Amino acid sequence: MLEVVGLAAGYLGERVVDGIDVEVRSGEAVAIVGSNGAGKTTLFRAIAGLLSTMEGRVVLDGKELTRRPAHRISRAGVAYVPAERHLFPAMTLKSNLVLGAYPRRPDPETLELVYDLFPRLKERQRQQAGTLSGGEQQMVAVARALMARPRLLMLDEPTTGLSPAIAQLAFEAFEELKKQGMTLLIAEQQVPLALSVADRGYVLENGRIRLEGASDELERNPEVRRAYLGVA
Amino acid sequence: MRAVVLDGIVLGLAFGLLGVGMTLVYGLGGVLNLAYGQIVVLAAIVISLLMEDGAATVLAALVGVLAAAGVAVLLDLTLMRPVYRQHGEERTLMGLLLTLGAAFVIGGLLTWRYPTGALYINVSGEPISILGVPMAVGSIWASVIALAVAALLLLFFGATTFGRGVRSVIQDETGARLVGINPSFVRTVIFALSGALAGVVAITQSMSGPLTVNAGFELTTFALIVTVVGGLGSVAGAFLAGVLLGVVNSLSAHYIGQYITTVILLGAAALTILVRPRGLLGR
Repeated sequence: MLEVVGLAAGYLGERVVDGIDVEVRSGEAVAIVGSNGAGKTTLFRAIAGLLSTMEGRVVLDGKELTRRPAHRISRAGVAYVPAERHLFPAMTLKSNLVLGAYPRRPDPETLELVYDLFPRLKERQRQQAGTLSGGEQQMVAVARALMARPRLLMLDEPTTGLSPAIAQLAFEAFEELKKQGMTLLIAEQQVPLALSVADRGYVLENGRIRLEGASDELERNPEVRRAYLGVA
Repeated sequence: MRAVVLDGIVLGLAFGLLGVGMTLVYGLGGVLNLAYGQIVVLAAIVISLLMEDGAATVLAALVGVLAAAGVAVLLDLTLMRPVYRQHGEERTLMGLLLTLGAAFVIGGLLTWRYPTGALYINVSGEPISILGVPMAVGSIWASVIALAVAALLLLFFGATTFGRGVRSVIQDETGARLVGINPSFVRTVIFALSGALAGVVAITQSMSGPLTVNAGFELTTFALIVTVVGGLGSVAGAFLAGVLLGVVNSLSAHYIGQYITTVILLGAAALTILVRPRGLLGR
């Protein structure tokens, strides 16, 4: 479904990520793991069109997305949920969700689906998004992305600022989304959590893919265990 | 007293209408359009020329509004492109400089070609009594138009998909892009809307007296004051600020003297910046 080939991207002519090859197949959950500063966000921003790629290609179902503006990539079916969420703070939760379906009117069925996934959001739909708690804002960001019925959902550090319990809850929701057939690409520092939901994973280090494989393979890999799973 | 306040409200609605076109553009991209008053004047000159040629007032007014919107779009597609490529302070500064340049060019061309140009839309009729105060028909018309525009704008931003999209760009541009909104297109549309509003200002301002070719900078100044006091990007804020400032203006003109009013209004803007930098209803 998504093919990233030889992608390089960065800021002010400096390459932060380089030579990235990533593939996500339909219905799959794929994790990009790596420490802070490894380049996960840069990679995601480049795929989502918020950052211009310097080299390489991004293709979604055979459709060229390279160097397209972010709003076009969004409309092509790639929903990016950034770690900073970028909600519309002075609007109600419901208005945020309605805008997720832009330019179409929100489909009541999708809205129901989203509320089923995050029941708490339904209780708070009239509340201003800026006044919600961090966990709730994360849920709204994911819910808003789902409103457009995307083909690929990209979650960038979805556990940022969340307590371990809420982070666990968030990942249960992602698991449920995967069961419903959603294709997921998740960037995460919390490697065990990410690999628990992902089928496959890529380990990103200093802007390059260092390792890739099935999640259980990566979990068994001694290097991964030493670097990310806290096993000596 | 009652007459003074009522006069202030009439003036204030005109202020609000004047400010709303500037505040929307500012809220959307941090650009204060210093050529705003000159676009009003341009619309006024277009309308007056058409009326001299015998066109019906309504038709001339419509063409004037469209011409102002057209000039605004032209500015957006040319002058504003490099501005929006900048960010933060640089964008604000570049926007100020380039629109100031546009103000001089448009204003200069108009004064050169039509040195005695002026628009006066004569709305005849006996004064109408409102709360026991006789009001000129022109003022009432201007106020009704301003209120109708306010209502339409609130409806547009509150209840339409595109209007919501505009608000989303004001609140978080990256978030807007991620849900599939093209901020650059939104800005062009709002610049056009702002131009059309400048055209409406030309019409309403000329209903109670002639709007002359050199009124541009004064109009821009008042629009700036309303924008600062009302809060950027807020339609309701612009009209609320307009009415407040209008009443303050009338009261100070009546009890102190006409000479002091502009100073007092600028003082109100300065006070707003000190006490509530976001403006009355700004975020």
